[in-house]
Amino acid sequence: MSGSNRLAGLTARPKGTTVEDVRRVDEVGEARGFLDRTPRKKPGRKPSPRTWQLHPKVFPEVGEAIAVEAERLGITQGQLVEQMWESYLKAR
Amino acid sequence: MPVIVMASPKGGVGKSTCAVLLASEFARMGADVTVLDCDPNKSLTRWASHGAPSGVTLKSDVGRSEIVPTIRSADGDGKIVIVDLEGVASQLVSRAISQADLVIVPMQPTALDAEIGSEALALVREEEEALGRSIRHAVVLTKTSAAVKSRVQKELEEQLSGAGIDVIEPSLVARAAFSELFAYGGDLTAMMNDPEMVTGGKVDKALANAQAFTEAVYERLK
Repeated sequence: MSGSNRLAGLTARPKGTTVEDVRRVDEVGEARGFLDRTPRKKPGRKPSPRTWQLHPKVFPEVGEAIAVEAERLGITQGQLVEQMWESYLKAR
Repeated sequence: MPVIVMASPKGGVGKSTCAVLLASEFARMGADVTVLDCDPNKSLTRWASHGAPSGVTLKSDVGRSEIVPTIRSADGDGKIVIVDLEGVASQLVSRAISQADLVIVPMQPTALDAEIGSEALALVREEEEALGRSIRHAVVLTKTSAAVKSRVQKELEEQLSGAGIDVIEPSLVARAAFSELFAYGGDLTAMMNDPEMVTGGKVDKALANAQAFTEAVYERLK
């Protein structure tokens, strides 16, 4: 008898797949410590995409130049603005 | 056709090895086998990436919310579904067990494996009660010695039999070829016929062991 003929005799029993069946199975599992261990997503708000826009009223080329300079110095645009503000105060 | 679930909350007991051996041997017998890799370690996905045997289809990344509909959609005429689970106590495990025709609990012959594996056996029994249907289950001892049966193994077999737990004979012996399947992909028959595959073990003995194990599982599915 070939393998496939032997296997043809195998059958599956009907199983409960309703929401109620799954809920009952979850309850039984949870009572024995079989819990939902699906990895949780990182909490908190996702970071906004970088637009390189310093301020809506700053010309795009100026904003871009500031962004490039901040990146070259390895600081944030905010830190660069702070340094510029200090220079401004000293010059005044 | 039947759904076979490999379950044990303990990792490293041989669930993936059992799944690979059964999938490749049932496929060799002519079955259309669907393997669900629900283990985050993706052992079966790695095995299949080197080339799954003809007749074996793999589905990866099956999670808790997908397990029941995925088993239901994979099940059909002429198909055998084999589910390889993660080695933790999770709802994914309990849901998969609820869809099984046969739950296989692999255990190494150690007290720790027996203790943690018994959690899966207890869960099966409780699910049987909750669902009002019997779920056939059996233990297979894995990574056993080819030379001698240890005292611990004998005692464990006696304890399991004494508790009315079905123990699959033969056990799965610790064979290098079983481990090498994950490096080479395919099945043991291909491994035996390819002289370029170096296993450092006796592939013919491993194949005979895998075939006898599959035959014992087949008897439980009838």
